[in-house]
Amino acid sequence: MTTTVSNETKRALKKRKPWGGAGEVKRHLTFLTMLLPGLAYMICFNYLPMPAIVVAFQNYKLSMPPADSFIQNPFIYTVLHNKWVGFGNFQFLLTSNDTAIFLRNTICYNLVFMALGLVTAIAVAVGVNELRQRFMSKLYHTILFLPYFLSWLVVTYLVYALIASKGVFNRMITSMGGTYNVLYNNIKAWPFIFVIANLWRYTGNNSIIYLATITGFDQELYEAASIDGAGKFRQFQHITWPLLVPTVVLLKILDVGRIMNGDFDMFYCLPNGAGLLKNAYLTVDVYVYNALKGTSQLGYPAAAGLFQSLVGFILVLTTNGIVRKFQPDMAMF
Amino acid sequence: MTSVTAANKTVPKKNKDMNQLSVAANTLWHIVFILGCLCVLIPLWIVIIASLTENTILTTQGYGFWPDKFSTSAYEFMFTGGASILTAYRNTIIATVAGVILCTITVGLYAYPLSRPDFRFTTFFTFFSFFTMVFNAGTVANFMVQTQILHLRNTLFALFLPMSFSAYWVIVMRTFYKSNVPDAVIESARIDGAGEWRTFLQIVTPLAIPGFATVALFAAVGIWNNFFSCLLLNNDRNYYNLQFTLYQMLQQINFLREMASQSGGAAAAATSVSDLPSESFRMAMAVATMGPIILAYPFFQRYFMKGLTIGAVKG
Repeated sequence: MTTTVSNETKRALKKRKPWGGAGEVKRHLTFLTMLLPGLAYMICFNYLPMPAIVVAFQNYKLSMPPADSFIQNPFIYTVLHNKWVGFGNFQFLLTSNDTAIFLRNTICYNLVFMALGLVTAIAVAVGVNELRQRFMSKLYHTILFLPYFLSWLVVTYLVYALIASKGVFNRMITSMGGTYNVLYNNIKAWPFIFVIANLWRYTGNNSIIYLATITGFDQELYEAASIDGAGKFRQFQHITWPLLVPTVVLLKILDVGRIMNGDFDMFYCLPNGAGLLKNAYLTVDVYVYNALKGTSQLGYPAAAGLFQSLVGFILVLTTNGIVRKFQPDMAMF
Repeated sequence: MTSVTAANKTVPKKNKDMNQLSVAANTLWHIVFILGCLCVLIPLWIVIIASLTENTILTTQGYGFWPDKFSTSAYEFMFTGGASILTAYRNTIIATVAGVILCTITVGLYAYPLSRPDFRFTTFFTFFSFFTMVFNAGTVANFMVQTQILHLRNTLFALFLPMSFSAYWVIVMRTFYKSNVPDAVIESARIDGAGEWRTFLQIVTPLAIPGFATVALFAAVGIWNNFFSCLLLNNDRNYYNLQFTLYQMLQQINFLREMASQSGGAAAAATSVSDLPSESFRMAMAVATMGPIILAYPFFQRYFMKGLTIGAVKG
């Protein structure tokens, strides 16, 4: 991570340097050729949809272009000829009962995931790094990382086998004389199921970057601290944590930007769309998908999606701006 | 496990006497980790056991830690009776292979100029890719463009194209080139008269293999586990992937559940016998879906720590 100052000097140096003849031009042409496939991909899949955002301000109704029209693509034709409704779609969202629920769910779940995810990931990273038995710590980490490779669909099957009416939990509870308990249909249980499932799947993966950072720290610092009589906890408090903060800040800036993005697969698959659990799983993404599939009026989900993207974008910029103001070295850009 | 030991040997031994965890703290950490690992492994174990249990046991007694009655009929049925499952398997494999190749090539090529100090437009092209990370047009706009303009609906492309590139991997790859491919090596290749393409293919690529492996693995996992774009784009049976097939079988469970809550279970029990995939068969499908990705995991595991040291966007 270089500082902003050195970046600026680099840029200034670049400006002063003239083009180094045909060789450099040719090299840059090769570089641009190398960039081409990635550019083409991003234009198709990331930049082309951006103008389509205008659907959020329209009363969208797909109509076929007449034969003599210059534009023959139905979608482009429709977007150009739709009725504009201004912020009408957003107003509809404000009056909808679902909006309060999906906003509350998305934000609260993400905050809990961020906080607990940070604590567990750092705990795993520190533990793996500190354990005396290197082989065992590698083994633990390998196992804890494994769930990341299972899709939410597979996790859904695991959850089903554990807590469905015939699941292992019920079988164990009833065999020990407890009362039969249908967790699967109990809306109060689902926030906890989501949090546990999220930690289960991501802890190992989240800890990797922290572990890579911690193993890169200068070991002499720790030795010096231990000679001075600092125990492991003091060492964490005064060495590991302060050195880890830039990484934490960087990752959390990105996380804050995703605060409006739910993990669609998790919220959609785990409760399997059971109507009676809706208040527990309805997040922005699930709402957008249901609206997209449920109605021909694309304006509402488009408006919700645009709101989601804008909030994320603004939050990233703001958080980064705040970080930049106080700790320029830690800012992402 | 061989990869674990191999990686283990390369880690320098820490100072043994000076600054070690006390025996008590060490034991405590072991207990915590063992409990954590059990939490990970037990659900997997239960599903694997369920897939090997006679179906009638699952529907009458429920799931357990050991098969009360062992049976492999679920797996036999999968390979003999389920044409749609074989199609889904084939589609997933084709999509994963194609996506991984596409992804490593595009990401590897895009990240390379950005890592070169003598490339003049680094700032612009870094921003071009970085912007896609912080601003997304949203599901509706993506869906409309992918169906109406790119015409991905009901094709195999739908299963891998939407996730074959990510700015995040570009950053990982660029950081990897920067830290593992010394400028001096590239300079000397240039002095020896190698063109940029030749330098990239013969000098840089071999040095960057751990980075490529990381990107390839994550792309493979993403595409293999991808459910959303199949749900969104494909509604033709011939283009379903494994995850979507799993989802469909789950829908049938859900149907049962709704039936049970409405009519007290009798009707549900009647349908479950006749035309729904058996419980053990569903669990066998889950095992078959996670199998290949878990088998691939140990081979790539040793590359992670090297490949995943991500730097800040600037720098």
